[in-house]
Amino acid sequence: MADFVSEFEKLLPEVEKPGRYSGGEWNTPDMSSPARGDMCFCFPDLYEIGMSNLGVQILYDIINRAEGFRAERCFAPALDMAKKLREHGIPLLSIETKKPVKDFTVVGVSIGFELLYTNVLYMMDLAGITFRAKDRKEEDAIVIAGGPCSVNPEPFAPFFDAIVCGEGEDADLELLRRVAEGREKGLTRAQILNSIADIEGVYVPSLKREGYRVKKAVVKDFENAPYISKPLVPTVESVHDRATLELYRGCASGCRFCQAGFWYRPIRERSAKRCAELAKDMLKSTGFGELSLCSLSTSDYTGLEALEDELSPYCRERGITMALPSLRISSFKPDMAKDSRKSSLTFAPEAGTQRLRDVINKNVSEAEIDKISVAFEAGYDSIKLYFMMGLPTETDEDIAGIAEICRRLKRLYMEKRPKRGLNISVSCAVFIPKPCTPFQWEEQISFEEMKRRQFYLRGLLREIKGVSFSWHGAETSVLEAALARGDRRLSYVIEDAYRAGACFDGWSEHFKWDVWQAAFEGRGLTMQMFTRARDLDEELPWDFIDVGVDKKYLAKERELAYRGVTTKNCREGCNGCGALKMGRCTIL
Amino acid sequence: MIVLKYQKCDEARFISHIDLLRHISRILLRAEIPVKRSNGFNPHALVFFSPPLALGVTSRAEYLTIDTDMPAGEVLARFNASTPKGLNAICAYGCEKNPNLQARVVAADYVYPYPYREIDFSGVVIEYQKKGEPVKEDVSAKIFSARDEGGMLCLRLATGGVNLRPDRLLATLDGIYGETGSVTDIVKTAQFASEDGKFVNIDDILS
Repeated sequence: MADFVSEFEKLLPEVEKPGRYSGGEWNTPDMSSPARGDMCFCFPDLYEIGMSNLGVQILYDIINRAEGFRAERCFAPALDMAKKLREHGIPLLSIETKKPVKDFTVVGVSIGFELLYTNVLYMMDLAGITFRAKDRKEEDAIVIAGGPCSVNPEPFAPFFDAIVCGEGEDADLELLRRVAEGREKGLTRAQILNSIADIEGVYVPSLKREGYRVKKAVVKDFENAPYISKPLVPTVESVHDRATLELYRGCASGCRFCQAGFWYRPIRERSAKRCAELAKDMLKSTGFGELSLCSLSTSDYTGLEALEDELSPYCRERGITMALPSLRISSFKPDMAKDSRKSSLTFAPEAGTQRLRDVINKNVSEAEIDKISVAFEAGYDSIKLYFMMGLPTETDEDIAGIAEICRRLKRLYMEKRPKRGLNISVSCAVFIPKPCTPFQWEEQISFEEMKRRQFYLRGLLREIKGVSFSWHGAETSVLEAALARGDRRLSYVIEDAYRAGACFDGWSEHFKWDVWQAAFEGRGLTMQMFTRARDLDEELPWDFIDVGVDKKYLAKERELAYRGVTTKNCREGCNGCGALKMGRCTIL
Repeated sequence: MIVLKYQKCDEARFISHIDLLRHISRILLRAEIPVKRSNGFNPHALVFFSPPLALGVTSRAEYLTIDTDMPAGEVLARFNASTPKGLNAICAYGCEKNPNLQARVVAADYVYPYPYREIDFSGVVIEYQKKGEPVKEDVSAKIFSARDEGGMLCLRLATGGVNLRPDRLLATLDGIYGETGSVTDIVKTAQFASEDGKFVNIDDILS
């Protein structure tokens, strides 16, 4: 094995933010003892983004705690570094020991977003890993994927030897153990893949036949599930540069567009006592000045008050701020954010009218939106609102409703604080029908219609003083929708797009719409073939994954959506979605 | 007030000055060194740095002033138990008030990866990019002296308000020696203030 370390270090002063590649982060585990098997977690985006990913840190921690096994990390290098690596013939190296990524026992790619698919190939290319699993040689690393995109792995399945569908806490280490054992015993690659195929959540694309089923991996005992007590402290400021504590997994709200809300069922809460212990451990071991209490809907967490009571004095003494992302409007109380600086609040009504909010089951009423005025009283004078456009059944009236909400908030603000001005920032994404949601059969509105509605809303919001408007690009939204509900044919499109220069597609400055259009056309496909409406009885590419939630339940929810009937929050009683068979919903 | 003399080497060479501020505040929190905080609208820990070090350069003489009542020995021990590789403290000085090293430091010694030889620096012009524009600058007045340090070339360069980045002189030296040196092989060994027209090592001022 060639030693690239000294050569690599010489490149560091020549690239932007060399701390992205240097390693040496505080809390890096000792890597000096030999390991039976090692895994390199590859995150297909920059260091700053990847270091904020909770999943990777949890899995990294689990493997490094296991006797005889080791995990390292690698992030997608920025383009300047990639150019240098190519010029000097240096393959992609892990951060910790600077070992070539392709020499690891297992290479694990975390995929959290459809627009990262080309970056997966970008990393494989730089690492010297053969793109397609079927072309890999006996001795090549076993390359696996995981992360939220495993909900529909088909578009990228041919690139991987195995894919962990669901939560990796138990599966990843077991998989690494079996691969290492297989190598020790001298098993063939095919035998090794056979040996991991029965691990819960593991999907081996080469074994997929008629009737093949994969059961999503779920952490059963969430209360005692391992959590990072010593998170790595990033060298370069990361996007979420703080201690993050996951309060619970899953969500009780049942918003019909939300993939995470269905995918992470059953709901599993961690007790306030354990959360407080974990939070203090993390803060002590990192020195972070901010703690984020995170989940899909933090104000729904049963133990929130108890946890805040426990942590507030601890944080106050040390000058640590506490952040509560993902609050529901209805649960906002002024004292919730009493210790944080009053800068800006973010809420997500998602739709402009009550009718449409009922359709998507976003249980936020007009009266509740009015409650934002409590925040005005508490001293906030800047509000960020998130909406979606292109939701099923949406009309121009619903879009006009977004402007109406802004007007109403301005009026409410003037009543409370007539001498100042309210800043409203409206951010409007385009609805993307995602697998594993009641809207998985829906059509995405056309490109032209997106543009028209965005233009219409922009015109309405321009008339209101103090409102700024930002929106998601129509192009990336169409592509994301096509990739999200795609099948294996798209692996060729992704590969063609990558070879034609598509990379970092999630970064607007790098996104190449023409390249993608040509890549689809080149394979005789169009994006519209994947963004179209699906029949209820149509076989969907992700149907072979048992996610717990029944397909029938999703169809029923869809029907309720069209009738404008809401479904109650799971905390008020079980709605019978089917996820129970994966483990009990533990709402404390 | 405690002044820690620390080094910045190995992986820590690649921590930018902005990121370093964040790192130090985290080390202090981990070490549970009670740092006094400012009383303003946005209270912040009262820590003060010596002038920023160019990215990639190793230093054996960086200084960090901490407003704390903890004794110097304890601050040193706690700091070193909580710092990542390459950012460890060498010694700690107690002092009455903030020595304001950011403003007082006027020069620093840098050892280059070249054997010592006599060089005439008069009229030396360096070229670099400033905000995307190419700049040519005569820096001879910013090179105070050259000497032999263990056989290697050691230059005393203007540091602080009037500053010469040691890496920007590399191209000139490369031309003289006919080799290509790396920024990562430059080592800063001492910092100086000016007293009565003479350079005084910061260590001598603090001890």
